Amino acid sequence: MKAVCWMGKGNVETLSVPDPVLLNPHDAILKITRTAICGSDLHLYDGFIPTMEAGDILGHEFMGIVEEVGPAVTNLKRGDRVVVPFTIACGSCAFCKKKIWSACDNTNPNAQLMEKAYGYSGSGLFGYSHMMGGYAGGQAQYARVPFANVGPLKIESDLPDEKVLFLSDIFPTGYMAAENAQIQAGDTVAVWGCGPVGQFAIASAFMLGAGRVIAIDRIPERLALARGLGAITVDYSEKDVDVLTALKDLTGGTGPDGCIDAVGLEAHSNELQGFYDGVKTALMLETDRPIVLRQAIQAVRKGGTLSIPGVYGGLLDKVPFGAAFGKGITMKMGQTNMHTYMKPLLERIEKGQIDPSYLISHRITLDDAPAMYKVWRDKEQQVTKIVIDPWATAVQADASRDPRVARGGVQ
Amino acid sequence: MAVTSSTLTEKPHAAELPRAEGASVMVDGWYMPPPEDKDGRLWQRTTALVQAEPVELYEAWRDLRSIPLWQEQVVSVTETGASTSHWVMRTDTSSDKTVEWDSEILADEPGKRIAWRTIGGDVDQAGEVIFEPAPKGNGTFVTVLQEFKMGKLASMWETFVGRNPKQAVIENLRHFKAFAETGEIPRTQGQPHGPRGTVGDMKKGMYGEKIPTPPGSSVGGVS
Repeated sequence: MKAVCWMGKGNVETLSVPDPVLLNPHDAILKITRTAICGSDLHLYDGFIPTMEAGDILGHEFMGIVEEVGPAVTNLKRGDRVVVPFTIACGSCAFCKKKIWSACDNTNPNAQLMEKAYGYSGSGLFGYSHMMGGYAGGQAQYARVPFANVGPLKIESDLPDEKVLFLSDIFPTGYMAAENAQIQAGDTVAVWGCGPVGQFAIASAFMLGAGRVIAIDRIPERLALARGLGAITVDYSEKDVDVLTALKDLTGGTGPDGCIDAVGLEAHSNELQGFYDGVKTALMLETDRPIVLRQAIQAVRKGGTLSIPGVYGGLLDKVPFGAAFGKGITMKMGQTNMHTYMKPLLERIEKGQIDPSYLISHRITLDDAPAMYKVWRDKEQQVTKIVIDPWATAVQADASRDPRVARGGVQ
Repeated sequence: MAVTSSTLTEKPHAAELPRAEGASVMVDGWYMPPPEDKDGRLWQRTTALVQAEPVELYEAWRDLRSIPLWQEQVVSVTETGASTSHWVMRTDTSSDKTVEWDSEILADEPGKRIAWRTIGGDVDQAGEVIFEPAPKGNGTFVTVLQEFKMGKLASMWETFVGRNPKQAVIENLRHFKAFAETGEIPRTQGQPHGPRGTVGDMKKGMYGEKIPTPPGSSVGGVS
């Protein structure tokens, strides 16, 4: 089959590799019908996540048709259409029983690597480094899905793939981010980063009763999408715009009730601290660039909540913990507990409350993927979300590549 | 004594610590640290929370014939008497070389505890596993204490298998837990990937990915 392989920092190739086979009794093999490139894949592309190896198949947002199931899979059969959560959960350990699915004890074959770095290991993830399990990802024509009796969500309606694909990660991740912000009716919520997770966080914040959402980014097309959802936008790259002042001005001097960092470890800044983190990460004296985190801690109101869906990987410098303590804030974060959110969010899509496909700007083939990683990283071509049809030929994908044709939904 | 020179290990009025017994992590309300490595004897203690009853886990551990399903590199365990058994372990992933030893069960308390030691062969080690109900019915704490002499086993293990024997004790309990809770052991060996290159191949050993995951109830395709 064809698969998108990580071949080193800044180097992704579409290669021919063997087809996956069933390895364990709860496995299923999926013929992938749609898959996507995630913003967090760029952390891999840029070499920020350790224990990636040449040859690793990328991709953790995918869906498809069940091709084959192992003998212990009782709830799926060949031909079923499913969306696969990016976190793998066993359903039987103490954490799965508590529905903290992303902390599953039994799905990371390389748990000892994560234990060394984090104290304990979380669940395995598809296509996201050996430390996170080393599972082959879904930017491919087929994938092996472990614990297929627990994770995959069956799609029984005739909703097109593009409307349900983002249940695999970014919609639940944005929704959990909003839920983690502990929104009370009428609250003001600030969202840093208007990429896909930020977009879903904005939409979900409104669903959960936010009175006002303030969206912070610098990319015009992302800010436009955010305004389309009803958010007030702040372009931090504009001359004279100071984010902290803007957030005070928009909240009567109080600060947002909830702050959502949908950026994570590769934040950018024009200020001195941006230079500081750039130099320190380049010299490997710091692993992450926590620019948004610092700002969000500073911005959130007294007793407010900071929700962090953006990925952090290691050791952070100069985090204003005194401000966090002084204001008595709550911080909630972590990989998404996917299995809790997929079904209720599918129901919202089925009821027409949201059409996640509005985000898609580019539809491509597997062969286009290496070039598109670069485009996505460099924020060129007005990219907002890239979806791959692993079986399309160049010509078919090309017909829908024009963003004006591609974009539908709520705009 | 100057204030600045006092150390945190100084305990002038502390009561004498009770003595540790076997694998237990606490005695009379005291936390017991694991035994120290010394005089060529290595110790590894490891513990896991498993969602099953102590008696079920005891029975699973006590079933010697099923040990090759979840312990790394163990080829076979054959009962040779009421409390004795013969063990065969693969040392080299690329050949059929093995180490063999005989083992004797020293203590066998159904639902609670098993202790063993070797009684001859290539290996000199002893161990104990205890099964204790976790607080409030939240499952079972399984605690393993394993002792080895730095003999042929430890050195071969590390040289050929690429796994520190202490880590092997930890991984074996991890496999046992996964097998008991889910009926399988998580694995990625046998899945597709692109060319690894020379560096990638070298790193496989570092990740512990050169050691075959024990079969559990795998359905084939395992390399």
